Amino acid sequence: MEPVNALYLIVVALYFGGAVFQIGGALGRAERLRRLGNSLAIMGFALHTVDLALVLGLDRGLALLRGEFYFSLLAWSLLLIFFFLWWKLKLDFLGLLASPLALILFLSSQAVTASRLPLPKSLSGLFFGLHIGALFLSISLLAMACGAGMAYLYMERKIKTKEKLHGFARALPSLSAFDTTNLWAVRAGFPLYTLGLLSGFFWAKLTWNRIFSWDPKEITALFIWILFAFLFHQRMFLGWRGRKTAWMAIWVFSLTLISMLVINFLMPTHHSFVAQ
Amino acid sequence: MQHEIYLFGLNHKTADVEVREAFALGDCENFEQCLLDDGGAIRECLVLSTCNRVEILVASPAGSDAFQLALSRWAGYLHRDPEKLRPHIYAHEGLEAVRHIFRVASGLDSLVLGEPQILGQMKQAYRRSVESGSARVIINRLMHKAFSTAKLVRTSTGIGASAVSISYAAVELAKRIFGEMAGKKAMLIGAGEMAELAAVHLINAGVDEILVTNRTFSRAEDLAKRFKGRAIAFEELISRLPEADIVISSTGAPQTIIRAKDIKDVLKKRKHRPMFFIDIAVPRDIDPDVNNLDNVFLYDIDDLQEVVEENLAQRKEEALRAGEIVALQVERFGHWLKSLDLQPTIVDLLDQGSGIAEKELQKTLKRLGPDVSDETQRALELLAASISRKILHEPIVFLKRRSRENDGERFIDLTRRMFNLDKESAPTDAHADRKPEFDAGSENEC
Repeated sequence: MEPVNALYLIVVALYFGGAVFQIGGALGRAERLRRLGNSLAIMGFALHTVDLALVLGLDRGLALLRGEFYFSLLAWSLLLIFFFLWWKLKLDFLGLLASPLALILFLSSQAVTASRLPLPKSLSGLFFGLHIGALFLSISLLAMACGAGMAYLYMERKIKTKEKLHGFARALPSLSAFDTTNLWAVRAGFPLYTLGLLSGFFWAKLTWNRIFSWDPKEITALFIWILFAFLFHQRMFLGWRGRKTAWMAIWVFSLTLISMLVINFLMPTHHSFVAQ
Repeated sequence: MQHEIYLFGLNHKTADVEVREAFALGDCENFEQCLLDDGGAIRECLVLSTCNRVEILVASPAGSDAFQLALSRWAGYLHRDPEKLRPHIYAHEGLEAVRHIFRVASGLDSLVLGEPQILGQMKQAYRRSVESGSARVIINRLMHKAFSTAKLVRTSTGIGASAVSISYAAVELAKRIFGEMAGKKAMLIGAGEMAELAAVHLINAGVDEILVTNRTFSRAEDLAKRFKGRAIAFEELISRLPEADIVISSTGAPQTIIRAKDIKDVLKKRKHRPMFFIDIAVPRDIDPDVNNLDNVFLYDIDDLQEVVEENLAQRKEEALRAGEIVALQVERFGHWLKSLDLQPTIVDLLDQGSGIAEKELQKTLKRLGPDVSDETQRALELLAASISRKILHEPIVFLKRRSRENDGERFIDLTRRMFNLDKESAPTDAHADRKPEFDAGSENEC
């Protein structure tokens, strides 16, 4: 077995263990179990970093042409955001969302092994890196906001209708914690998304000598940007919070997910993950 | 000398408040001394007296009539008729007494199931009786185990997890909404016992400031002084509302004083920061439609009552699990109590000695290889066995002599601990009997 392959299996096992123990720990109110889950996820993340570095180091040109690399990178940035918010906001519940999502993305990165990105060879490094990096970080933030938003709506309905809180709901943090996650995702996510789009356009200008090519991916990305901008504006300047921003975050992330899964795989686009 | 543990007492289930008042032992220390002075029939004792219960814990030589003795002492001490006391008393012996103490410490016997205040009072009583010397080996160990059992029950069941008073339930809900209470302001509209209790809980939870308003301004000022808050004129109520994150209303007004459309404006001024309204007035002070606004939560007295009842039902379920934990701990304590006799301790000591000798012998033989003659091997066996026996000889003689004395168990207990015969790992509070710890600021049951 290649060393990279073995590493891949270990990372999958660690993420899987992390997700199982974190969720099991939260459900069973077992603090120890949850901490074990967290440590597994952290170890998985460390090895994942090594894996990414190895893939890049072995053959940089090939790696950047392969769809799996991007999924793996997305999983990685998701966990990066999780660890940051965890440290910054002391929000343990994010682990419940982050590890399973990272696992799914990391696994699906292997599902697209066969495909090759039809990228032109001339990669103008900086803009391409910015394009991918900033967009993936902001998508990860959106994923967090989406999870936190669902939890917020669930809890808010429970409190409003005066419903009894059972085991799992009881272990959830306060509404304000979920709302703060949303605030962070919007405050940091929108500028990153904007940066990601702009650098993409710059790169297109340098590579193809045109900014916009009416690619389906580009059109949806612009549409998502408009929605995201609206959310950013309402949240930062009009003081929207709670329910409305939770719903908006869910919508924006769902659209991003759809655009990634449907367009990148099924539609003719120069962002395709499928070999042509 | 084999000792037995006895427990006598009365509580809120067996005696109503007049009886509890009449037979409360305010001066426990003197009463403990009085029990101990009684010709050695009672060797150790601990008395706990609160407004809900009196518990008298006694270690006596087996077979003594500790019940009669304690009963007459108790009534005599208070100059009352023992026959008035007798029907309200429960008496437990041996492991049943242990179980009762463990249950009391865990809050399973409390007026409000699972309330932990009694534990602090037990710790106080325990410290007092250790200092005065009326609690020794047996009660010492018993109380330690009672405290650790209580802790175990608290951490591994949800018995204390949810609020069972209306005012505390309101604070729990506030935490669900706001998370941290620091930086939050609460406003009291009107006064009343429940509203004031809720305010106390909120301050304990870390709320920054309390605003108080009332139709009679002087009353508001009084309350504000008590909570170190600010008084507000009743007419300014709506205009000051944007400052408040939590609003507790309990006026006697016949109609609603806060309407949903007022709150819409208030929210705009607050930039939609969430608000939590607690309406404990009947008839209600706050328009129920307020609950339909985004970022606003409204609970009235019935809603809170329902939360409390559900939590109580849940505590009852958890109490079953707690009972299992207590049973296990009682069994363990029973093992220890049995071992506190001279014979088993000597057997354990000799077993431990010969065990070590055997282990070391095997190691040495292995090192010497297969060429050792039978004769040498027998000599070595004899050497190891007699060293271990001879070393233990003096301690055993000492133990036999001292165990006949009054305080015999003390030496047996010491020996068991010194040689670690019970194979226990030392608990972190191993020396707590010398310096009993305290829960800072623990509340009392009453």
